[in-house]
Amino acid sequence: MRLFLFILLCLFHKNYFAQKSDFKHINFSKADNIAKSYKSKDLQNLNKITFALTQNLDTDVEKFRAIYIWVTSNIENDYNLYLKNDRKRKRYKKDSIKQKKWNSKFQKTLFKKLRKKKKTICTGYAYLLKEMSAIVGIKSILVNGSGRTSTTGIEDLNYANHTWNLVLLHKKWYLCDATWAAGIPHPEKGFFQFNYSDAYFLATPSLFFFNHFPINSNHTLLGKNSKSFEEFIKMPILYRGAHEILSAHEYPKKMHHKIKIDSIFTFQYLVKKDIVPENIKFIRSKGTTEKTIVPEVLLKNKLLTLHHKFKEKGFFDIHLYIENMLISTYTFEVFE
Amino acid sequence: MKTTKTTTLQKPTLLLWSLFLSFFLFSNTSLAQEILVKGVVKGLVESETELLDGANVYLKNANESTTTNKKGEFTFPKKLKKGDILVFSYLGFEKQNIKIKEDTSFLTVLLKEEDIEMLGALNSEKRFKSKRAKQ
Repeated sequence: MRLFLFILLCLFHKNYFAQKSDFKHINFSKADNIAKSYKSKDLQNLNKITFALTQNLDTDVEKFRAIYIWVTSNIENDYNLYLKNDRKRKRYKKDSIKQKKWNSKFQKTLFKKLRKKKKTICTGYAYLLKEMSAIVGIKSILVNGSGRTSTTGIEDLNYANHTWNLVLLHKKWYLCDATWAAGIPHPEKGFFQFNYSDAYFLATPSLFFFNHFPINSNHTLLGKNSKSFEEFIKMPILYRGAHEILSAHEYPKKMHHKIKIDSIFTFQYLVKKDIVPENIKFIRSKGTTEKTIVPEVLLKNKLLTLHHKFKEKGFFDIHLYIENMLISTYTFEVFE
Repeated sequence: MKTTKTTTLQKPTLLLWSLFLSFFLFSNTSLAQEILVKGVVKGLVESETELLDGANVYLKNANESTTTNKKGEFTFPKKLKKGDILVFSYLGFEKQNIKIKEDTSFLTVLLKEEDIEMLGALNSEKRFKSKRAKQ
């Protein structure tokens, strides 16, 4: 029984820490260079593309890396396609037959656009990643769920709105999100800007969870530390910067706080690299007024602790910035 | 005298057997190098079939592939042998594996449309602004 528990613990432990740092010994620059130099005007011969990307690479993780980098730097996120789908899905929310019919019609348009124009929306990215991995014998699955950002309201999260991947590499499952890694859409200007972020490649499960709630809770890779949907929507909002700079967001666990005036509040994080304390600040906003706050900084062995005393009453949005990158947002109601 | 007779009788039988066996082996290998596979790939969308233009046809675990033309037709560029597996794929459709048999020459492949829920949430780097803090 003890042995069984030990094995179970090892398995769980292994899964829990499945992330990019497992492959510290591998230099991805060869895979990255292959992916960046290979061009194809369409996706008509997917097999040829995949082999060209992977044939000179030895390990599965490097092969997957080359595919991932190629997909994130060649496939454009189509905002109009997204808008159209979002509108129809909302319209047919209560009519499952109509929604299914729309989905089938939309699927056809979407794949045609992906094959010929290299444009898509989330599910297309995840699907392409899965298909290309399969060609070289790497197993990957699509994960549907709620993607949460600063602009997705709570009501938008009540149904699945996003797709990402789980990939099996060297017998362990890892998380990735090719859509969000590829770049940022600019809806008001009507274009997509490629701007790769490494933050969503074999991501840290506990941080990834802040923005990704899968329909199937096993897909969080958090085991019993997985949280409910109610807890998920109350978590602080994390931005791309958080995934690049932090390795853990320890405290606060929630987005909204109600505190008494003159009380000291503590924020705590684990950072990936050493940070100069002068490069850490909060921006406090209320309506159109903004104020920069310099917190008290304690940095010891990558554990970053920030203290701030709230001296004014009111309702504030508090944004954390590290090295000029937006990290996270919290809200505070300060009362007397 | 008796013994000699039996030996002379056995010799041609053995020769015949080995000849038969080598012919069988030879014919098998020669056949294995000869299979030229052609075919047509169609897609099934809501009980209607359509010809798939640009479907991928590849030899499993090898860098040998081709794509179908506008009429859904293909001729596999490499001659195949018995037991080879051809994979047929087209984005948005379920993959199909077909094992090559001795008598395979023309394949009609029907791929089924995959049932996927199409979703797309936008990433946003826009800083959050709560409704209450606007006041």
